[in-house]
Amino acid sequence: MTTAARRVPARGPGLAGYRTRVPILEISDLIIRHDVATGASLPVRRDEVIAALRAAGDRRGARIVAGLPHRDGVLEAAAVDRLLVRTHTELQRLNEELRIAEQLAELLGPLLAAVARGGERPRVVDVGCGIGYAVRWLAAAGVLGDVDLSGVDFNPALVAEATRLADVEGLACRFVRGDAFALPGSATVYISVGVLHHLRGDALGAFFRAQADAGAQAYCHFDIAATRLAPVGAWMFHRARMREPLGRHDGVVSARRAHTDHDLMTAARSAPGLVPLLHRPTHHSNPFCASVRPLLGVRPQEVSALRAALGPAARHLVTDSRPMRRPW
Amino acid sequence: MSAAVAVPVVLASIALVDAALAGFRAATGRNGLIRKRAYYVVAMRRGLAGGAAVLGCLALVLGAVLATAPDPGTRYTGLTQAGISMLWVIGPFAAVVVASLVGYAVLPRRPATFLILLGLGPLTLIRPWVTVAAGLTAAWTALDLPTAVCTVVAATSVLAVEPWVHRRWYAEPA
Repeated sequence: MTTAARRVPARGPGLAGYRTRVPILEISDLIIRHDVATGASLPVRRDEVIAALRAAGDRRGARIVAGLPHRDGVLEAAAVDRLLVRTHTELQRLNEELRIAEQLAELLGPLLAAVARGGERPRVVDVGCGIGYAVRWLAAAGVLGDVDLSGVDFNPALVAEATRLADVEGLACRFVRGDAFALPGSATVYISVGVLHHLRGDALGAFFRAQADAGAQAYCHFDIAATRLAPVGAWMFHRARMREPLGRHDGVVSARRAHTDHDLMTAARSAPGLVPLLHRPTHHSNPFCASVRPLLGVRPQEVSALRAALGPAARHLVTDSRPMRRPW
Repeated sequence: MSAAVAVPVVLASIALVDAALAGFRAATGRNGLIRKRAYYVVAMRRGLAGGAAVLGCLALVLGAVLATAPDPGTRYTGLTQAGISMLWVIGPFAAVVVASLVGYAVLPRRPATFLILLGLGPLTLIRPWVTVAAGLTAAWTALDLPTAVCTVVAATSVLAVEPWVHRRWYAEPA
């Protein structure tokens, strides 16, 4: 699997050209740390984050973190939480404009029709839900019928905001802090939007295996399409639509970290019992239309049922993927 | 309709539509609710009110400039010519924006996404530059200094609506 990395000019005498590969880092991955068991915020030292970003050659990211409030060198957890809620709210505006939840619903409906068992209320769990936009949109639209909609995230501040927003609109969904794969009872379908590129190295394969182990019937994960235009498009869009410097920074970094179709398929195939399928993979799409693309997974015996439920849209499902040389 | 009437009417109409859209943009990314049509309607009204206030101030400035001119008729003709120069820059931009918005509203999702990525996103980014370019173009072709100053003031004051509405009402998340 490709590790998110970029080439930087090698420094020092005798080192010509580009040799060293350093990780590409998102600030939002670095400024929060939680105790997995209790959910309590753990202290994050600002200078350590700055040093990590500088080591990655990301001076702009380091400057953004240097401007965050801190006390005795430790980032103020409450201020970071507020920043993340603001950034996710801006991110929701991008998702609204690109109609991401609508795209999700177009696939999730047929997916549930294919895998849901008679008599059982299907359960959809959004992994890494943030402020719960996808789940709340599905609940508000009511397009899936009688479905148990849940969102799970490790960040308590984001879960609290998701819960508040759902309560304000009286939406039939719930949000839980914790591990989505350790919930009581299994999900029928796991979904996510914009989560996969955060999972690096072995964590990506483990993510898919965890869904199989949790007894899911299917999954549907949307993430940034790793096209050659993605970083440029991300820069332009985050510049035009977002105000938070952190959001603008991480938006572009996300596009550069996006997994290729091939990497995603390779990782997804490591999950036993779930067949991965790409819908409109990047090499089948006009890159100007491919801001995100979904990866679906179903039990082998449900593949034909899924194709039937999708109807004409099933022609965009593929089980193969081409290795892609990264342009960045 | 003569140019003396049509030019200010068209420019004012474009400024008001732009102000309403500025109000919309000022409010975006600040409200996480799913159903927020009313929220955006209020934001657009606020932008529209801001734009109307700006136009009102500009009308006072232009009135003063005309009233103090040695020959108000010649000055008005000069202002109209400057307005035409502005329209040569702003007009095509406004037409593309309107076409993109209509396309986004009526087209299926994939072509609408195409329009966003190639149209609405870049257009938002270049809007301030187009506006400034329009002001400078008009100033460059203006017959006298007061007219040139008026065109630059008009262009820059239109750009003030969005940040003002944002700071006044949407600085913090809803």
